[in-house]
Amino acid sequence: MIILLSLLTFLTHSPKIKIENAWVRPAGKGMNSALYFNIENSNTKPDVLYKVSSPVAELVQMHKTVETNGLAEMKQIKSVTIPSNKTIEFKPGSYHVMLIKLKRDLNVSQKIDFVFYFKKAGKINVQAEVKGQ
Amino acid sequence: MFSFKIEKYLLVISFLSIILIYGCSKKLPMDKQIGFDSITLLNQDSSQVVFPDEYKNKILLLTFIYTNCPDICPMTTHNMQLLQEEVKKDNLKNVQFAELSFDPERDVPSVLKEFGDIRNINYNNFTFLTGKEADVKKILNNMDILALPGDTTKTESGNVYFFTHTDRIDLIDQNGRIRNEYRGSKANIQEIIKDIKALED
Repeated sequence: MIILLSLLTFLTHSPKIKIENAWVRPAGKGMNSALYFNIENSNTKPDVLYKVSSPVAELVQMHKTVETNGLAEMKQIKSVTIPSNKTIEFKPGSYHVMLIKLKRDLNVSQKIDFVFYFKKAGKINVQAEVKGQ
Repeated sequence: MFSFKIEKYLLVISFLSIILIYGCSKKLPMDKQIGFDSITLLNQDSSQVVFPDEYKNKILLLTFIYTNCPDICPMTTHNMQLLQEEVKKDNLKNVQFAELSFDPERDVPSVLKEFGDIRNINYNNFTFLTGKEADVKKILNNMDILALPGDTTKTESGNVYFFTHTDRIDLIDQNGRIRNEYRGSKANIQEIIKDIKALED
């Protein structure tokens, strides 16, 4: 009975949205940086990431880099839908979370705290490492 | 007698083919002279750099960035660092790396220095460049580099703006001629190293 209850508790609380491989670019105070990661949705329904926050920057926005005929530009996006049983990559040259006007230096190996906001999964805390890439 | 002549012709054709193939393998796709006179720029230490004179008789990898760029320019800078490491590993001499800011208003030497320091740039043969806006524009126009400021975003401490810009690394030979260009953020390191080796010979 105890085992069954434990299993039930585990299943109901097991994370259906997983955020992995989160990392941030190094940058100095007052400058901008970017956060990259993978979001895996193992729910049977899609979920929507609509906001990311962090105390490290004055402004945090989701963007996508688009390259057309050798010209690179960034477009702000309001939300990203993660389909059920899919993984969406936030990676260099594509989707990224932009950290605008950093409040302090981000040096390699430091850990930075973020909160991700999903429509269904709610708030998820994420820690990302600063990597020199 | 007849077969001897054929053999001779075949030998000559083979010899010419080898020369042709060898010659083609060393040929790079571009050969365009940088079309402006000497321009005085500043490096990350505020020292003057006369461009392109400073790089005469050297192989130069030149790219164009702005330090407020959160995604593409750091990727390009990282690729330039990988190239620098590869050049050192392969013991290729006389290769220089330079990044010219197309945002000279914000990218003063101290800002470029901070951008380089936080990325542990090895300044031995790697230079960040900035200059007077008119001078920078002259270089950008001549080298077909576009950098268009976009909308301003408001923050607590002021405004910030980003650029739509060309994503490119140029390979410039010992005579100041552009010999190839690559997508900066997605550069194929081995392809560029191969081209540098072709210029070294």
